[in-house]
Amino acid sequence: MPQKRSIRIDGELVQVARGETILDAARAAGRTIPTLCHFDGLRNSGACRLCIVEVSGSNRLLPACTTPAEDGMAVTTSSPKLTAYRRMTIELLLAERNHLCSVCVSNGHCELQALATSIGVTSVRFRYRYPALPVDQSHERYVLDHNRCVLCSRCVRVCAELEGAHVWDFMSRGIQLRVVSDLDQPWAEALACTNCGKCVQACPTGALVEKGRAVEEMAKRCSQVAQVAMKRGAPR
Amino acid sequence: MPTTDGLRPDAGERAFIDQVIARRSARPGALLGILEEVQEHQPRKYLCLDTIRYVAEKTGTSLSQIFSVVTFYALFNREPQGDHTIAICRGTACHTRGSRSLLESLRLELGLDEDGAHADKLTLTTPNGRFTIRTVACFGQCALAPVVEVDHRICGHMNEGVLKREVQALAGKESQ
Repeated sequence: MPQKRSIRIDGELVQVARGETILDAARAAGRTIPTLCHFDGLRNSGACRLCIVEVSGSNRLLPACTTPAEDGMAVTTSSPKLTAYRRMTIELLLAERNHLCSVCVSNGHCELQALATSIGVTSVRFRYRYPALPVDQSHERYVLDHNRCVLCSRCVRVCAELEGAHVWDFMSRGIQLRVVSDLDQPWAEALACTNCGKCVQACPTGALVEKGRAVEEMAKRCSQVAQVAMKRGAPR
Repeated sequence: MPTTDGLRPDAGERAFIDQVIARRSARPGALLGILEEVQEHQPRKYLCLDTIRYVAEKTGTSLSQIFSVVTFYALFNREPQGDHTIAICRGTACHTRGSRSLLESLRLELGLDEDGAHADKLTLTTPNGRFTIRTVACFGQCALAPVVEVDHRICGHMNEGVLKREVQALAGKESQ
């Protein structure tokens, strides 16, 4: 019999199992917390900082996806302060690389775009960096466009945890951070790659896409990959 | 990007790597220690792609994961290092005490300023492989600012003249 934890989500009392996170509890209570790097069935990495919530007694904002729910916690999932921070996070993501929606194959199917719309980002206060990053078109069926990447690590985790190939990982750190396959080789030369395409379907933006798609044509099948991941039993 | 740099570890090197892995791999988080020891054993103190590949093969780690570790930590070198390493601190305290001009004069002294980049974060090796200069964030010896580390020896209150003599002493030792 697993121990239960009682936690308040926006005032509502929720019971969750031991080891479940604030995000699990909020979802159980029917609250929606915006997430980007979270992917059902995969380990959480806390990379995107969009799921930040206020926890009473803590003067820091905590990521809901990686903070375990503890007895007596009182969590606020939406407030003007949280909206301001989430907005800024989205703006920084948009400013970091090239996210020009109008010429993107994922336009209309992009999680970053959808989040920006739902949080009400209409302009970006920061100067766009627009670094000229490479586009890896070596793979027969897929394309990796670093310019659209938000470094959420969903491709890294889906490949390592679900496919078991661990083709992707991050190289360097800070502003230099970039997704690489094997030893920073062209994707086609990555020996571990099984061409399964789960990374492409798990990618929230137009960074990993199927070849031959025109603007607005790249709808991802995220939920199918998530279903497979969930069936395997969610890792903790 | 070449998939190999033609420097596949030779039999002796492979035996050494095997031994390091056998000794360390039982412990969790062994990868960092293994890579550090392997790098230290290389004559030029760096990890080439083939060495990384060999370690990956022997430890059962994915290539991308090892590559990620090697590129994350500044401790790991991906280029051959010089005989002598001079590390200049670019931390705040050393910066206010003039470490930028120390770095610039050292680059001039060793002829490493031609690529013009005034990057504050760098690792440069002279073409003859004698000297490597690198910048670090902080040695934790701020009271001695500006701090320079010459072949793992911390030298505090450094100035351009002393640094020049240090370099000449090292260069002289080499030529004898």
